[in-house]
Amino acid sequence: MKHAILLLSLFLPAAGADPPPLAIRNARVVTVSGPILKKATVVVKDGLIAAVGENVDVPEDAWVIEGQGLTVYPGLIDALSNWGIPEAAAPAAAPAGGRTSTTPRPAPSATPDPSAPPPARGPEDRPSNTSWQRAADLVKPTDRRLEAARSAGFTTAVSFPMTGIFAGQGAVINLAGEKAQQMVVASPVGQYLAFPAGFGFGGGGGFPGSLMGVFAYIRQMNIDADYYRQTRLEYEKRPAGARRPEYDRASEGWLESPRILLPATRAMEIDRVLRLAAELKKPAVVYGAHEGYKAADLLKKAGAPVLVSLNWPERSRDADPDQPESLRVLELRDKAPSTPAALAKAGVKFAFYTDKIERPRDALRAVRRAIDAGLSVDDAVRALTLAAAEIYGVAGQIGSIEAGKIANLLVTSGDLFQEKTQVKFVLIDGVKFEPAPETPPAEEVAR
Amino acid sequence: MRTLAWVLACALPLAAADNSLLIRGATVHTVSGADIAGGSVLVVDGKIAEVGVKVAAPKGVRIVDAKGLHVYPGLIDSGTQMGLAEVGSVRETSDVSEIGDFNPQLRAIIAINPASEHIPVARANGITSVVSTPAGGVLSGQAALVHLDGWTWEEMEIRRSAAMVLHFPFIETGGGRRSSESRRNVPFPEAKRIYDKKLADLRGFFESARRYRQAKLAALAGFRTDVKFEAMIPVLEGKLPVAIVAERERTIREALQFAEKEKIRMILAEPREAGKLASEIKARNVPVILGPTLAAPLNEDDPYDAAYTLPAELDRAGVKFALGTFANAFSRNLPYNAAQAVAYGLPHEAGLKAITLNAAEIWGVGDQYGSIDKGKWADLMVTDGDPLEVRTQVKQVFIHGREIGLDNKHLRLYQQHTKRP
Repeated sequence: MKHAILLLSLFLPAAGADPPPLAIRNARVVTVSGPILKKATVVVKDGLIAAVGENVDVPEDAWVIEGQGLTVYPGLIDALSNWGIPEAAAPAAAPAGGRTSTTPRPAPSATPDPSAPPPARGPEDRPSNTSWQRAADLVKPTDRRLEAARSAGFTTAVSFPMTGIFAGQGAVINLAGEKAQQMVVASPVGQYLAFPAGFGFGGGGGFPGSLMGVFAYIRQMNIDADYYRQTRLEYEKRPAGARRPEYDRASEGWLESPRILLPATRAMEIDRVLRLAAELKKPAVVYGAHEGYKAADLLKKAGAPVLVSLNWPERSRDADPDQPESLRVLELRDKAPSTPAALAKAGVKFAFYTDKIERPRDALRAVRRAIDAGLSVDDAVRALTLAAAEIYGVAGQIGSIEAGKIANLLVTSGDLFQEKTQVKFVLIDGVKFEPAPETPPAEEVAR
Repeated sequence: MRTLAWVLACALPLAAADNSLLIRGATVHTVSGADIAGGSVLVVDGKIAEVGVKVAAPKGVRIVDAKGLHVYPGLIDSGTQMGLAEVGSVRETSDVSEIGDFNPQLRAIIAINPASEHIPVARANGITSVVSTPAGGVLSGQAALVHLDGWTWEEMEIRRSAAMVLHFPFIETGGGRRSSESRRNVPFPEAKRIYDKKLADLRGFFESARRYRQAKLAALAGFRTDVKFEAMIPVLEGKLPVAIVAERERTIREALQFAEKEKIRMILAEPREAGKLASEIKARNVPVILGPTLAAPLNEDDPYDAAYTLPAELDRAGVKFALGTFANAFSRNLPYNAAQAVAYGLPHEAGLKAITLNAAEIWGVGDQYGSIDKGKWADLMVTDGDPLEVRTQVKQVFIHGREIGLDNKHLRLYQQHTKRP
């Protein structure tokens, strides 16, 4: 029965009505999984890559695109994102899953709102926990950021809810679709954890009020979920005569997470989350990792994959120009882009994510800085495509140009990381999308 | 009978007074001049009557034999909130700041609690007088120089108005490492705007005060007295110095310019990044009240000894400075703050002056306090060694020639806990 559904689903078009077959002929094809093909043809049919190679038959009804001078890449993947979840795009979104919700907090009033829940007193109250929330249920094809992302060559994102400590379940989504359910490629793919800033008495009150509390909470959550699973199993075996265990959606969410994403920027923080992950006995992915150049060996030893933020540290425009900056800050700013090269050298699996970069095209410029700092172009392409797919266990579906994979392709006028290279179009589930003209940033318009 | 008693009292004025004495056999550290080995200090009616090797004891005067001991002038802590704040975390015991930006009429002295527990503690380590400063707002009020002895603030008073305290505005973007700096981050343009407004308000206030003074001098019709501007008149006339609190280099520079433009007498208070401006401070003859040297560096990458070496830097440039602890509970550590500076390059003599004579001179009482000289008030301490040395014990303290008991809360706690079986 299961197989039948699987088989059936293979023949269901993922993106609406059947588009005709499509062939890109005589293009340079960067397959990522194999060697670069200098002059090859890619055939797309039913939203999938039907064939790729130098001597491939083009179906007679195919819409042929002459690929002379073009380069075909697998569609780019933003490995940690909230694209497709429009609410998450609200302005001044909390930093990487900050505790503050994206909706503005109501101003404190003299009379407390009687309907507001009392502040949490401990992990049992499951504060800042929406671990059961699924990005797959939240995505909307109407998110206005999708077009900008596609225009920069992104076809896929791994999107997460990002509010709270246990923010929720991520999903691999394609960045186009008429309906939300057409966008989802895989779900759930991981639990997004954050250690929110803004602790203390003014931080909204309630547990946890410190980083120490956050860690204790995560540990307790893991223990509680484990106990929950065992009692559920026992109860299901012999429900009669036993008290039914209380349903706990937070534990449910935690248990169904195939992996957890842990934030760490500094080497010390990386060390800390790796220790936590080992203790929790959960597959972990480290995200942020700007000081990964100091922790590559540590990461290699732990075998944890890394999501490197492309939002390289910069001096804030709001900073006082006379305020001296510490050597620590300057060093991180200087060396962060060398992290990908260091990770590649150490053999750590890593992918890139755009991390609130406003214009997706700037993400590619950020990759160029990593290349300038020693990353090979091949590794850079891989970190934007196949590596992300492998980290989330969807390499069988996306991430490279191979027959049978989903037809998420990026076609450019040349090398991806050259400034003058243009995105010609992308294919998402075999459907072609032309890029929107690049709008200059607002300040340039104003000038 | 009554007449007889009166006559007797007149005949023995020295014997009856508790503020006359002769300390003899000690090494006298005058601070103003050379040390006198085997010296004596004669105190008559609270004032130093004679200092030297051979001082004859008037008949009946109390003699303090200080053989092998040392006599120093009492120490002056140039920055405290003594008597204004007792326990930092108990709001009710803190009376240091008022609402509003401009409160020049406030006098710290009348708020001083003479029964503060901090006073006997500081006194026991030889601190005989302190400057108590108000905080809060921009023009915080008037700092007072007081003795650490007296039942009322009137009895403690040395100078009820020693300086006007001005917390110079600065650009606060926040995100600082120190707890005193705001945690929230304000974008620079906004912080600059707030600062510009504060500075404009400050200039405006000085301008209004100046016009008030002119109106008063001209006895204009309809002139109305305003206590705030009234308090500014001594400042504008150069009679009262303004202690301008400025921590960072940029703020200090702006404060110096402000003082020059407004033609006020300036004392620079609590600078941290003053090293680079030392020559400029010297050129303008601005005296400095340094904060504690026992402090961590201001910026992450500053040398570890930035606070330790600042006094020596200023000394090399010829800047006159005194030290303040700016923490009531640690006023007792005043000599060790000087000692830290001495360990990091400040000449020993300059270290001692920074907590005695320089302080007296900066606060305008150099002719009455700060050294052991004939005619000055007898604020003295007798020790068994150099007060900059931690192991040195203060044996006796005199304020205006009267011996002050050394009992204090620390001592009582010490005694209580040594009794534990």
